Parts: sequence; C-alpha cells; structure tokens
Amino acid sequence: MSANHHGVLKHHFDNLEQQHAAERLGMWFFLVTEVLFFGGVFVAYTVYRYWYPNEFAFASSHLLLWVAGINTGLLITSSLTMTLAIRAAQLGDRRALIRHLLATFALGAGFMGFKAFEYYTDIHERFVPGEMFRQELAKAELELHAGHGGDHHGTAQHWAVDLAKNNADKSHTDPAYIGPGRVQLFLCFYYTMTGIHGIHILVGLGCILWLVQQAATGKIPPENYSTVEVVSLYWHLVDMIWLFLMPLLYLAGAGAHAAGH
Amino acid sequence: MSIIVHDEPRVGPVPPEPTPPAKNYLNVAHTAASWLFTVDHKRIGILYLVSLTFFFTVGGLAAGLVRLNLLAPDGAIMTEDAYNRSFTAHGVVMLFLFLIPSIPAVFGNFFVPMMIGAKDLAFPKLNLASWYVYMVGSGFLVWSVLAGGVDTGWTLYPPYSSRYSTSNVTPGVFGVFITGFSSIMTGLNIMVTVHKMRCPGMTWGRLPLFIWSMYATSFIQLLGTPVVAITLVLLMVERVAGIGIFDPTIGGDPVLYQHLFWFYSHPAVYIMIVPGMGVISEVITCFARKNIFGYKAVAWSSVGIAVVGFMVWAHHMFVAGIAYYSAILFSFLTMLVAVPSAIKVFNWVATLYRGSITFQAPMLFVLAFLVLFTVGGVTGLFLATLGTDIHLHDTYFVVAHFHFVMVGGMVLAYLAALHYWWPKMTGRMYSDFWSRASATIIFVGFFLTFVPQFVLGYHGMPRRYPNYPPEFQVYNVLSTAGASVLGFGYLLPGFYLTLSLFFGEKASANPWSATGLEWVSSSPPPVFNFDRNPVVVCGPYEYAIGVDQLGRGLPEPPGPGSADDPASHDGPTGPAGPMQKETHVVG
Amino acid sequence: MHTPEHKTDGPSTMHDVDNPAAMFVVYLVVLGLAVANILLSTTPLGKSAIYIQLGIASVQAVLVAYYWMHMRRGDTAVTLSAFCSLFFIGIFYLLVFSDIWTRWRMAM
Repeated sequence: MSANHHGVLKHHFDNLEQQHAAERLGMWFFLVTEVLFFGGVFVAYTVYRYWYPNEFAFASSHLLLWVAGINTGLLITSSLTMTLAIRAAQLGDRRALIRHLLATFALGAGFMGFKAFEYYTDIHERFVPGEMFRQELAKAELELHAGHGGDHHGTAQHWAVDLAKNNADKSHTDPAYIGPGRVQLFLCFYYTMTGIHGIHILVGLGCILWLVQQAATGKIPPENYSTVEVVSLYWHLVDMIWLFLMPLLYLAGAGAHAAGH
Repeated sequence: MSIIVHDEPRVGPVPPEPTPPAKNYLNVAHTAASWLFTVDHKRIGILYLVSLTFFFTVGGLAAGLVRLNLLAPDGAIMTEDAYNRSFTAHGVVMLFLFLIPSIPAVFGNFFVPMMIGAKDLAFPKLNLASWYVYMVGSGFLVWSVLAGGVDTGWTLYPPYSSRYSTSNVTPGVFGVFITGFSSIMTGLNIMVTVHKMRCPGMTWGRLPLFIWSMYATSFIQLLGTPVVAITLVLLMVERVAGIGIFDPTIGGDPVLYQHLFWFYSHPAVYIMIVPGMGVISEVITCFARKNIFGYKAVAWSSVGIAVVGFMVWAHHMFVAGIAYYSAILFSFLTMLVAVPSAIKVFNWVATLYRGSITFQAPMLFVLAFLVLFTVGGVTGLFLATLGTDIHLHDTYFVVAHFHFVMVGGMVLAYLAALHYWWPKMTGRMYSDFWSRASATIIFVGFFLTFVPQFVLGYHGMPRRYPNYPPEFQVYNVLSTAGASVLGFGYLLPGFYLTLSLFFGEKASANPWSATGLEWVSSSPPPVFNFDRNPVVVCGPYEYAIGVDQLGRGLPEPPGPGSADDPASHDGPTGPAGPMQKETHVVG
Repeated sequence: MHTPEHKTDGPSTMHDVDNPAAMFVVYLVVLGLAVANILLSTTPLGKSAIYIQLGIASVQAVLVAYYWMHMRRGDTAVTLSAFCSLFFIGIFYLLVFSDIWTRWRMAM
C-alpha cells in the first residue's frame, strides 16, 4: 500500500482506515470530556443566574459587547478556514493547506489579541471581583453622596456609578436592588469561563502551529490528512463553546435593559 | 451462533505449548530508558504496578497512623491537627493514587489488548503520557503531604478548603486535578481500543466480561472526571484569588460545590469497583470450570451501573441542606443502582453452583470478594434510605460500608487479578501455600477491622473525629487489632511475589487452563503479544466444552480438583450429562 | 489488506472531500445567526431572551457539528458519543435543579 512508503501506518493497526477511525474516535471521546468539563461550569452558571437574574443582567451589560461580537466573527471564520485546510490536506495541496492553517492561526491569534485588550480594559475599569470591586464601589457611593445624586462627573468608573445610583434609595429586600456580591459572582464566572476558554484557544493555536510545521516538512501526505481533521475537531468544539459563552456572558443583560431601565 | 455438543467430550486437541520466544517483552531490553520511554502497553502496565504498589504502601501507612491514634479515646500518638492530615493523606492517596487507577491502569493496560487480540492499545504514546501525568500529579500530592499535609478530608469542601484551611490545599488540589487527566487518558485509550482494535471474530457478544467492565469504567472516567476537574479549578481559583463562586459571603453556594464534586466522585466509586467485577467474572469461571451464568446480564449490568451511577450522587448530601424533594428522589435513584450490582452477584453465585471449584489463591480472593462486597452493598442500602441515613450519616457506619466495598471489594479483586495474571505477566508461579495463607489472613483481618466500625457507627461515633467517649474504646481497639492483621496480610504478597520472580518455577502459557486470548501466547508474552494474528471462533467462557476462544482444547487444569473437571469427564456435570445446556455458546 | 470499497482515484478520496461552496454557505448562515443573536439582544425580549439566545446557539452548534465536524459521515460511535455527552449533561442539569428548584431559601 502506498501509505507504507510514507511510514504513515503505525505498527499496531491493520490498515489506514482503522487508524484514521481510531484517531477520529479518540478525539471525539476527548471532546465528550471537554463538553462535560465546560458542562460543570455551565450548570453552576445556570444555578446562579436562576437565583440572581438582575445582578447577572446588570454585570453583563457592562461588558464590552463589541469585542465579543468581533471575536465571535473571528472564531467562526477561523473554523471555516480550518475546514478548508482539511480539504487541502485531503487533496494533497500542501501550499493551500499551509495557507489555510496560517489563516486559522491568525484569526485565533486575533481572538486572543482582542481578548487581551478586553481584559486590559476590564482591569483598567476595576471591574474585577474582590478588593478592586469593593474599593471602586465605595468610591462611587461616596461621590454619589457628595454630588447629591445628580449627574456628577466623578472619578469612579461607569459601572460603579450605575450600581451605586441603582441601590442608593433601595433596601436589600427591594426586588430591584442589585447585590454587589452577586455582581462579583457573575464576574467570577466571566473571568473563569473566558479564561478557561482562552487557554483552550492557546492550546489550539499551539496544535495549529505544530500542524504547519508538519505540513511544511511534508509529514502530512493525503493519507495522513486525519491529523488535520483531529485538530480541526478540537478547534470546532472550542468555537462551539464560544457560541454558547457569548450569549450567556455578554447578552445576559439583553431583556433586562429593555424591561428594567 | 450455538454449538450443540453431542457425545464427544472434547472439541479440539490440546494445543502444543507454544515455544517461548527468545525475546519476550521483559527481556527484549534491560536499560532504564527502555522502561521509561517504552510505548509497550505491557511495560506501561508494569510501570503502573510498581508505582501503585508504592502509593498503596504510603496510603496504608497513613491508615495505620489513623488506627493507632484511635487506640485511646483522646488520641494515642498525635495531635488533632496531625490526625486530620493523616486521614486526609490516607483518603487522597488511596482514592486518587491507588483505587481509581488500580485495575484499569495495571491490568487494563496489560490485558485489554491481549484479551481482544490486538497488538497494542490504540494510542501507545498517550498511554505512556498517562503514566507520566500520573507521576507528576502524584508528585504534587507528595509535595503537599511532605510540606505539612492537607487537613480538609479528601472531599475538600469549601468554605473550609477555600477560605479557612491553613494547610497545603492548593498543591494537593492541583495534584488531584492532574491525576484526573491520566485517568481520562487511560479511559479514552481503552474505549477506542475496544471499539476499533478487536481481532477478527471478536464480536461484542464474545468479549470477555473483563473487557465489558473496563469499557463501562472508561465510560465513567470520560464523563465524570472532567466535571471534577472543572470543580477543582473553580476551587483553586477561589482559594488563590480569595473570591469565587462557592463563597457564601457574595451569595455563592457551598452546597453547589458538593453537587459538582459528587457528580464525579460518586460515579468514581464505580470507577473503582466495576473493573474489580470484571476480574471476578474472569476468575470465577476459570476456577469453577463453568461458563458464566447469564453473560448478557453480567455484561449489561456493567453498563447499567455506569449509567445509573450518574444519577445517585446527592445521597452524600442528605444532611447538607439540599431540598427534601430532591433527597427523596435521590434516595429512590440510589436504590436503583443496587439492582445491577445484585444481578452480578446472583450470576456469580449461580456460576459457582455445581461447578468444579478449586481453591487457588485467585479464587480465594474472589470468594472473599463475594462475601465482603455483598455485606458492603447491603449496608449501602441502609445509607440510601433517607430516614436511616439521617442517623447514620457521617458516622463510622459509612466508613465501614465503603471500606467493605472499596477494600473488601476492590482491593481483593485487585489482588485476585494480580494472582490470576501474575504467571502471565512475569512468567513465574508463586508459592501456593503462602498465597492462600495471605488471602485467608486478609479476609480475617478485614472482618476484624471493619465489623466493629459498623457497631461504632450505629452507636453514633462520627467519622474524622480524633476523640471518642471511653465506652467506644473496646471497638476501636478491636478495629486496630484487625488492621494490624490486615496489614500483615498485605505484606505477605510483597514477599512471596517478589521471591517468585527469582525462585518461582516457570509458568506455562496457560497455567490455570483458562479460555481467554491472553493465555494463548507464551508467558511472559512476546513484544507484539501474539505470534500470529488470532481469529476468534467462540465465546469467552467455554469451560463446559473445554475450548478456548480460538476453538482449541484446554490443557489439564491445575489443582486437586482436576479429576472432577467437567470438561474432561462425562457425568452429571459433564458436557453429556444433565448440565449440557451449559454448552450453549454465547455469541 | 486492501483499500476500503470507496470509489478511489487516489488515496485522498477515501472520504468525501468537502465542497467549498457548501462550506461557505454554512459559514454565512452561522455568522448570520451570530449577528442576529446580538441584534436581537437590543430588542425588548424580556424573559424569553435567554431561550431565543440559546436556541440560536444550539442551531449554530448543530451546523458546526454536522457540516464542519463531519458528523454527517461519522460512524455510529461518533454520533453515540455526541449524544452521550448531551444526555449526561441533561441528567446533570435535571438532578441539580431538582434540588435548586425545590430548595428552601430565605426570601431576599
């Protein structure tokens, strides 16, 4: 069989068909673990969102939606180029394979670039659970008192002013009261979920670079295209998880804006 | 298909003993690098065997400390803080470093490819990686123990583990997180191997039951482990950042941690026990010289346990503040999981019925398993019942219950597997007398250790407490005495198995006259397992007609019982006698 | 050891090769759904927003899985594993919420 000339068939498989099927199935089983991995944090998110809808809506509407929108576009496009890379690998078109892989890498790297910008902005706005959050909110409350509740242009961040204004004349039992603790709870989810997702993107980028190197050294003949396919399965899943993260984290405030404010 | 056997008691001639190849997997290379960088599933199994034996000893020593301290009502040997760290070390090491990898990583690695007629697991490098990941994870755990230990108990409940504990929780949790990956890698490898690597003729209905149980176990590992991984990530984030989603001061719910944790950790007890059940099915048929009773029932009950096992976790939380309605639901679901376990026990007992039983060491371990596992399983029902659990929750009753299942069940199954497959793995026979003695001593020691704990728990002694009222002392002393006997029993295999490597007589290819494919190749097996690719023609347990899975006759079984072997004689239990319906071939 | 019974004019066609035009159509649909999802969030949907958002995300996920992850030509084990993960996530949700929905919580 021609494949053996390339040394593609591993010793413990009978034929390439078996080898490819095993590789694909292995990756699918791994994807099952990934789904369950994110499933755990999705369950936790759902519990708290069920308990604290107002706080989640409030916090969500203070995230950078436009960054999330661009990132969604980048990831979806990178999935397309990844699929085209498989096609190139199947057809033995090495130049196209490398081109598509590099495009995927660039789009993924762009995602991480925007992500970094977003984190930078969030931290700059002190929209971070814990001490930063508490200090900023205290500052906003102080300025609100000093500024007599008007459109005071203090130094406190936008979100803190909003939160302080909303809670200024409300008791803790008021349904419209937005608990600062629970806003931080949402932020914990925001940072953990996007962080874990980002780590997955970084791993995917590493795999794509490895593929580029393999392709460049001629180690991905058409018989071995399943290497590309296996990485692509992972990449698509990470994309797919983002398609759920995006509405859950960035669009949670959607209905509340229209209804509440 | 089915084979109707008429008059001839033998189907095929006994195959000649295969000539041992000059190079088997053990002597093909001797350097340390040839072990550390091997991708041979058999060698990786041995690597795991050595590491697991080490950690079993560590965990056992920690248990010894706990038992010694409980000799006196106010703590005999250590401070209360040290006591907390000891039982946590015992729990974490035994669960994450011994029980969860135990049979899948050692015997699954070694025998799954051999039993389905493959040259290796589907992903040999991933297999080696899993061992390294395991070692890195256990390195973190050892570090956390040496640097002062963890005092939270193995369940790591927040807010204690996140906010208040001053011990080394983070490296400990990180170690558990990492070993989880090794578990996933092994499980994934085994699942793909069973799907894609079976030799010709090895249909699902002809798979040995050990393979079915390994498949079910891997299924749980794949679905459960990632959930505990994310839970531990969230816990680590909370501990490092000082704020997180289980933090009650910002509206977080510590009980949610318990949900996430037990979604894995309850199925994890099935990760521990189901492989043991597979071993039982292999050994019990071989030493009773009978076909398994109810192949399909035993096979599918493994899958049943794997599925239903995911629906019962909150019985660990009946008194933790979950909703009453939810508790009732979980109480009911927990009862359900007893059904597949009971199916297995009944089928094993029915397999023994009118068998030609011989009592070599593997069989003694299996018989002990049957008794202890049944006790452990039935006491589990007390705990599943909502009303009695309120009384028994977090007492020594629970401790005794799960030790009956985990030690009485799983560790004995592990020892049964070790004794059953030792000749195949090493090519040497061990001492018959000492191995039987060890099985007996372990059985007696185990009973003496844990039966008093049922009494203690029933009278209300809580688990994890270093102190107790003086009237409980007699039971605690009894339990510690039993633990000493048990410890001695565990030491024995260390001696006679090691000695057998140097002085044991050479094992033949099929010393137990068993039917599985792993016994076809010489002992120890050649590097690629089989001299030529096997083709399977019949089911896995054709002891009644006396053929192995290649359709060849079996050698004379060992032991004094061989004169009564139904495979070689006519008579009431022979193939031509009233039991001839047993010759119905599965598959 | 022979190649499987696909019509082969080269080893690369052991499996179907994607049609780029079809892939591009899938791309446009997935991207369009993402834009729709964001735009919908600016309209007054109220409490039904979350269901619509997750519905759109699910459709996107199915498209990605079916066309780009090649589930349409995957073997049974692949389909089974995908359904298994969803099934167990479902159990996870359902049983956790059996507690959350019925648990007594102090009015806040």
